[in-house]
Amino acid sequence: MPETLTIPRVLPIGTILFELLFLLVAIPIEAYIFHSSFKFDKKSSMFYAITINVLSSVAGWIIFFLLEPILPLPIKSEIINYVLFNTFKSSSIQSFVVLTGFIIFFATFLFKFSLLKGLLFILNDSVKKEEVTLSVSRRERWHINKKAELLNTNLATTTLIANSLSYTAITLILLIRSK
Amino acid sequence: MDLLFKDLIGSFKFLQDILLGIRKFLTPDRAYSWQTFIYLSIFSLVSSYLAVGFVKDIIAFFGWMFLIAGTAWYTTDDPLRVPGTFMPVGALITGFLISIFAFGHEESIITTKSIVLWPTLSAIITTIPEFFPGRNPQTKLQFPKLQVRQKLIILVAWCLLISCWLQFYFVVDKWLKEYPSLLADNFQKSAFVIRVEEKSKLPQNGSTILNKLQPLIEEQIVTKPWAEVEKWLLDANQHVGSLGNQVIEKNLAKFAERGLWRIEPRVTNVNSGYRLDILNIWTGPSESKVGFYLRKSCLIQPTSSNNQNNKAVVADIECDRLSKLVIGAPPPQQ
Repeated sequence: MPETLTIPRVLPIGTILFELLFLLVAIPIEAYIFHSSFKFDKKSSMFYAITINVLSSVAGWIIFFLLEPILPLPIKSEIINYVLFNTFKSSSIQSFVVLTGFIIFFATFLFKFSLLKGLLFILNDSVKKEEVTLSVSRRERWHINKKAELLNTNLATTTLIANSLSYTAITLILLIRSK
Repeated sequence: MDLLFKDLIGSFKFLQDILLGIRKFLTPDRAYSWQTFIYLSIFSLVSSYLAVGFVKDIIAFFGWMFLIAGTAWYTTDDPLRVPGTFMPVGALITGFLISIFAFGHEESIITTKSIVLWPTLSAIITTIPEFFPGRNPQTKLQFPKLQVRQKLIILVAWCLLISCWLQFYFVVDKWLKEYPSLLADNFQKSAFVIRVEEKSKLPQNGSTILNKLQPLIEEQIVTKPWAEVEKWLLDANQHVGSLGNQVIEKNLAKFAERGLWRIEPRVTNVNSGYRLDILNIWTGPSESKVGFYLRKSCLIQPTSSNNQNNKAVVADIECDRLSKLVIGAPPPQQ
């Protein structure tokens, strides 16, 4: 039955506009952070910000689509209530929502971090340059390793900062809207 | 007269030009060209129509393959691009054909899956030629330049997001199909969806349950001795509840919302007998925090029986014809 197409009764216009708004807020913030801390040029920091934000939204959607059919009826009912009527039915759901928010924040952070690492690996041409300089002394090798390690921690911190800032901005927007 | 003749010749020439143009468009330059594929596909589709059994499916499969190959070939020559992106319109068309071919079936050619995956497939199709520089499939596969790679990744990411939005539309649509009583409510406060259809006045399933339940309850009461009926009414919660569950299971089997309706009776004393309110309470999502319920009121009164050999007092029941929608919490149970 869900396979058949029918005339649209509701359109998720609000969802699309909201998501675009969030992306438009998050992408410049994160791009600015990448630009200032990684010394990427403006174009590539924009590219990294767009890619990790859009792809993490996609990942979130996919998790939602996978979970939605198997959720128990009361939780599903709350989600429907929130989507269609913008309120939650039971008041005990509050803590559950906060917990979900935390999980989402850290899941996005982890996802963005690994995605950024993967993208840097795929797209950075400096990988090839390093292969050329493989014939360096042991001491220098150690230095390179140390540098890579430093870059890794730096990457994690920067992603965390960028993610926190963009989430703060989005939360502010939500707070202003709910007033 | 001369002028008219000239005009006639002129228009004839014009027609001839069009026909020549069409002929040029339709006739392949070489045996190996996109028109050949399209003709092959038409030929296969016609012959698959005549064939039966699995042969039909095989021929139809090749027909689709030829059609996709032909359109893909024709549209890659076409420089027209979707405004704002570098995705060619051709990729959209080819993506559409592929998704119809892959996810459509006999009953419905266009399925939700084919619509959801259309943007993603189109984006992937757009990226393919970039791996073959020189626009020639014979050249070696190689990774595109850094700039192009970035562009392609962004394009695929956005198209994936658009696919997600389409899927979300279908998820909401599925909710409305599984829980049709939601349509009786207001979506005005929603931040996520807007309604394009008028809202229905009554939750249809809710009133169906009450209408089906009413004769079952009448059967339990009518022409029963009055004392028995009073006893029945004392246990009304259990009797009406179990009857209600049966009706819900039977009539709402198709809908997921069957778990969200609950039947409860309310019995009140009135001067001549009892009033039985059958409440059908919606426990699902609703705009008002307290929810809503449907009510059907029945008046139960004692009457003398018409039966000649039995002069006992029996019960009579009279119910409202229509159920009433009440917004708010149901009255407390006795």
